[in-house]
Amino acid sequence: MVEIKDKIEEELQVIFRSDAPWITILWDDPVNLMTYVTYVLIQLFGFQKEKAHELMMQVHTEGKAVVSTGSREEMEHDVARLHEYGLWATLQRSDQVL
Amino acid sequence: MKENEHGFFRHGDNSYLAKFTEAEREVLTNLVEQIIELLAERVDHLNDDPLAAMVGITMHDTPPDDEVLLRLLPNAYADQVDASEFRRYTESTLRQKKQANSMAMRMHLKSAVDGIVEVDHDGAHAWLGAVNDVRLALGVRLKVEENTQQDLELLAPDDPMRGVYAVYSWLGWLQGSLISALMDDSE
Repeated sequence: MVEIKDKIEEELQVIFRSDAPWITILWDDPVNLMTYVTYVLIQLFGFQKEKAHELMMQVHTEGKAVVSTGSREEMEHDVARLHEYGLWATLQRSDQVL
Repeated sequence: MKENEHGFFRHGDNSYLAKFTEAEREVLTNLVEQIIELLAERVDHLNDDPLAAMVGITMHDTPPDDEVLLRLLPNAYADQVDASEFRRYTESTLRQKKQANSMAMRMHLKSAVDGIVEVDHDGAHAWLGAVNDVRLALGVRLKVEENTQQDLELLAPDDPMRGVYAVYSWLGWLQGSLISALMDDSE
């Protein structure tokens, strides 16, 4: 019985993990200008200027910020576009420790 | 009005202008050419499969050793296995886009009339990306991670990095002027 219970728990974990969305994290770096980061966020994600500025400030003061959430494929696409503009971004599961 | 004191400015619909001296154009051309060459070093001589090359799959699944190349072509995942897999399928596309930006900028500089560079919206975006790549590269050389802005501003007059920092700062100012010109559009 214990074995079956463990098995179920394991499977449930897999199900929950695969349901967990993925996130794109933008990391702070000392080179990119604040105005540039804000501009790129507006261009790539269609944020309003205020929202983009807020996220940029979060990156600047806290070292990182989640800039998008979605499927793994969508996040890979977002990270690739951020890299194209020279911003430093990575993706991961949202339940993974940052 | 002296345009060259203003960097880029908007000139009617879908046109952005900046006036550069000959020396400035030489510096900019030289810098973008270095980026083009650096990115070319990453070309896949290992890739013998033309079909794989055609769809952008490369043999590169390890990050570049060169610190500058690693900043231009960074890992997409903290996890090394995922990062390698992603790199294998996407690095050549990223590299080509960056090369295209730098090549467009070089072409605009070459076709300047009376030192005036004119770009449309797409050209402006190529400049943003290309100038940024140069700044990223210079930033690695200047060790901006460890050195504060004050450290860099107080470099000795005979320190070769002083000139690099001057160019790095000027590029930041130039990029800022282009962003302002582009932001004018959206408002």
